[in-house]
Parts: sequence; structure tokens; C-alpha cells
Amino acid sequence: MNTKENIFQRLLAFLKKKALSFKKNANIVRELVKKNIKVQYRNSVIGALWTVLNPLLNMLVMFFVFSVVLNYGSEKTYALYILCGNIMFSFVRASTTQSLPSIVHNRGLLTKNKISQFVFPIANNLGAVVNFAFSSIALLGVMAVVSIIAKQSFFSFNLLLVFLMLPALFLFSYGLSLILAALYVFFRDIQHFYNVFLTLWTYLTPVFWKVGNVLDSKESDTQAMALFIKPMLRLIVHANPMYHFVTYFRDIAYGCVENGVSVWQTFPLLGTLYLIGLIFAGIGTLIFSLTRSKFIYYI
Amino acid sequence: MEEKNLTQETEIATAPSQIDDTIIEVSDVSMEFFTRDEKIDNLKELFVRLLKGKAKRKVVRVLNNVSFSVKKGESIGLIGHNGAGKSTLLKLIAEIYKPTKGTVKVRGKVAPLLNLGAGFDPESSAKENVYLNGAILGYSRKEIAKKYEEIVEFAELGEYMHIPIKNFSSGMVARLGFAIAIDVNPDILLVDEILSVGDENFRKKCARKVNELREKGVTFVIVSHNMGQVKSLCQKAIWIENSEVMAYGDVNEVCEKYQKYCNEQKI
Repeated sequence: MNTKENIFQRLLAFLKKKALSFKKNANIVRELVKKNIKVQYRNSVIGALWTVLNPLLNMLVMFFVFSVVLNYGSEKTYALYILCGNIMFSFVRASTTQSLPSIVHNRGLLTKNKISQFVFPIANNLGAVVNFAFSSIALLGVMAVVSIIAKQSFFSFNLLLVFLMLPALFLFSYGLSLILAALYVFFRDIQHFYNVFLTLWTYLTPVFWKVGNVLDSKESDTQAMALFIKPMLRLIVHANPMYHFVTYFRDIAYGCVENGVSVWQTFPLLGTLYLIGLIFAGIGTLIFSLTRSKFIYYI
Repeated sequence: MEEKNLTQETEIATAPSQIDDTIIEVSDVSMEFFTRDEKIDNLKELFVRLLKGKAKRKVVRVLNNVSFSVKKGESIGLIGHNGAGKSTLLKLIAEIYKPTKGTVKVRGKVAPLLNLGAGFDPESSAKENVYLNGAILGYSRKEIAKKYEEIVEFAELGEYMHIPIKNFSSGMVARLGFAIAIDVNPDILLVDEILSVGDENFRKKCARKVNELREKGVTFVIVSHNMGQVKSLCQKAIWIENSEVMAYGDVNEVCEKYQKYCNEQKI
């Protein structure tokens, strides 16, 4: 009886301690997110409005280059196609590039206070969620314009599925952030490597080009193309987690309405997204947890 | 059987009072670091060293079998030459480092005041830094908001709170750091060399506040080269030299031994 009570009490004390440290870390994360957003737009005249304008301007540049100059993507929803791809990719790009040096850059805080190392990648990824919310305003604006031009309303309740997709995106980006932040502590050349990789990744993800146009066209195929390069490309495209994320986002934003497809058909893809997210978050947490006690000696 | 029960009960009865009294317990702690020139921080170097078979770790022992305990309300001074391991010991108590060997047990809220501007973000304003540091010390935004005026008043930085910390003078940063640390009601305050910064008036104000807090039962662990300060603030002292504890006990005795040693070294 005694021992039972003892175990119960200890469990209670343990949970209480965990809850306290969770509350403390949540407070730190909130302050960090606020700080990051404030620092980002300090000394700028229009401030947070940039978060809305940024994806919009990026989209206009790409739209001009590909649709107007190169005559690629002539359909009316091409502007939405680019914008959706851009919003998704900048979420991952911003959160991972900020997280990569976050442990090293916050050495001032880490070497002088007892803080959980996890708060920095979490804060950066939550900051990306905030930016995503602002970008959605730009998306709604462009959707309105495209709806008027195409004389077809693309607004639907499918858009609410964004709230189901975001956690998966967060998990994926957070997991990748953890891996990069931990690696950077020990190997500083990861930053250069990742910058080059990001450029490659941007082009391998169908942000402005269309998978169908590249993989399914049979017009100018040589034998080598048909036998070797195309299957390779197909493999690379499908192995790219971002491909699935941008595809899903486009489907729920306008694709299902445009093609008259029921949104239920996209649910298996949502499952894939969660699988990707959980795998990355799992690997990231594992690597980060195993190495974080050593961070302090290398930063 | 009965006897056994009795002893168990007495153990249970005495255990809490023992724990309640001791607020810091450092037992048999050793701390080791890798030396800086052997540190590999990029892949290229790692490959080169692996090829050469030189990726071995070179270890430096900073603390060797250090043991002591501090009771609640007691203050302790850490003295010794530069590089003796005092700051490392402070970071072990702050749970920033984990000891290589031995255990460090600390009960209660610890406010570390290590060096100037401990953990301030230079790009953020003083106000934002107060909230961030408050959160790091375990306070919610509401709780810090209540203390905010008090902190600003103590630091005497009223009109500068919206300026980024990077534009502050070192004295201003120290004032802000001290004001935050004492206002969060810590049980243990770790102080590394910072009581000797700021102008004369602020130093006096700090000394008054430190005495006030000591009377309230706050435990101080102070690293200082100023023997007068250590003697006036602490009951006990630890003298660390070459990673070993040379003397531990009454502050006057330890300081005397240390000063004698210093004098001998000079000759």
C-alpha cells in the first residue's frame, strides 16, 4: 500500500515538474516568436505588411518570367499555381534556414541560462506558421482576381483543410530544422552545403513547372530520355516530400474545384503528408535529443 | 521486525529536514572539457583527421572531485586565480553544464547572473529583453508585466527601455541584468564578477539590495576577486586552485589562506 502511494506521489510530482517546464518553455517560445517577427521588420516603413506583399511580389516576378516572357503555363490558374508553390516552399525554406544556425547564434542565451535547446527550432517554425497566415491573405486576394478573370469561383470549403495540412507541414519542417540545427553545431560547413541544396531543391520541386508537362510529354523523346532519364526524374520527383505538400495545397486551394474532383479523393495524400511529417519529426527529435547535451561545448 | 520499522520511521522523519536545509549539494564533481585546438567543427577537417588517424580527443580536467554543500540562506564565495574553474562550478550549479562525474543537486529557483548582459539579445529592445529573460527565468508575461515598472525603476533606465540593447553601455546592460535577476524572487542567485560594475551609486544600491535579499533568506553564490566583498557578503568560502579545492569553510580562514598563498607565489 505504502509503496503504491509512493509511486503515485512520485508520478504526480514528475508530471507536475513536466507541466511546469512545459509552461516555462511555452513562455520562452512565445517571446522568441514575437522577437523574431519584430526583428524581421524593424526599420521597415510598412512593417508586417511585407509578409503579405512578399509572396505576392515573388509570384508576380515568376508569373511575368514564365507566363509572359516564356509563354509557359497559359491557363488562367497559373498565377495560383505559382503562389501556392511559393507559399509552401517559403515556409520550409524560412524555418529551416533560420533554425540551422539557431543553436550556435543563441549561444549567449544557452551558455548563461538553463534553457531547453528545443525552443529555438520550435520558435522559428511557429514564426513560419504566422507568416503562412499572412501569406494566406495574399492567396485569397489572388483567388478573387483569378475567379473574376476565369469567370468561375474557386472559393470553397476545401480551403479549410489547410488547418489539417498545417500540422503535417509543421512536423516535416520542424524535423528537418532539428536535424540541421544539431548538425550545424558540430559541422559548420553544413550551412554552405544546405544553401546549395536549397537551390537544387527549389528547382526539383514543381513550384513553377508542371510535373505532367515534363514527365508525360512524348514529343521530343530520345531513347535515353525514355528509358533512363525519365524514370529517374519520376523517382526523384516522387521522393521529394515538398512535391506532395505543394500538390496537396494546390488541390485544396483551387485544384479540386477547377477539375471538378471531390475533395475526398485527396485524403490519401493527406495521409502521406502526415507520414512524411511524423518520420521527419521522429528522426529530427531523435538526433537532436541524443546530441543536445553536447551542444554547449561546441558553440 | 519492530526495530526495523522504528529505524525506517526515524529515517523518514529526519530525511525531509535534512533536504529542506540543504539547497545546493555538490558531491564528488569532476568536469572535463575538450581542448579548443583539438576541436573539429567542420566536415573537411574531420575527414582529414580521420585519414591521418588523428581524430583523438584531448581532454582537460577543469574540476577534480569537488564536494560541498550550501544551506538555505547561507552565502558562499568562490575564490581562486583566473582559470581555476570557478565559473565552471557556477555553470554546473546553474545546470548549464552536466558534470562528467558526480552529482549536483539544486533545489529552488536559480537566477544566474553570469558575466555582463547574461543572455541578452543585442538586436531587441531592453523591454523585449526583460520579457524574454523573465520567461527564461520561469515567469509568465503577466507576472513580468507586474514587475516591469519595478525593474525599470531599479535599473534607472526609464527612457531607454525601447532602445536595442546593442546601443547600451556596459554599465547600463549590467544594471538591467541585475535588476531583472533580483526582481524574479530567486532562491539562489549566482553572481559572477558583476557586483563591481556600474557607477559608485549603483554599486551601493546593489550592495543594499543584496543585503536585503540575504536577510530574506536568498542564497548567494559569488565569484569574486575582491576579498573585502567576499568577506562582507559570505559566511563560507571555497578556494579553488588548479581544479582542486584547496580550502573550504569559514570565509575569513579561507580568504586568509588564499591571500597567504598569493603572497608566497609573488616571492
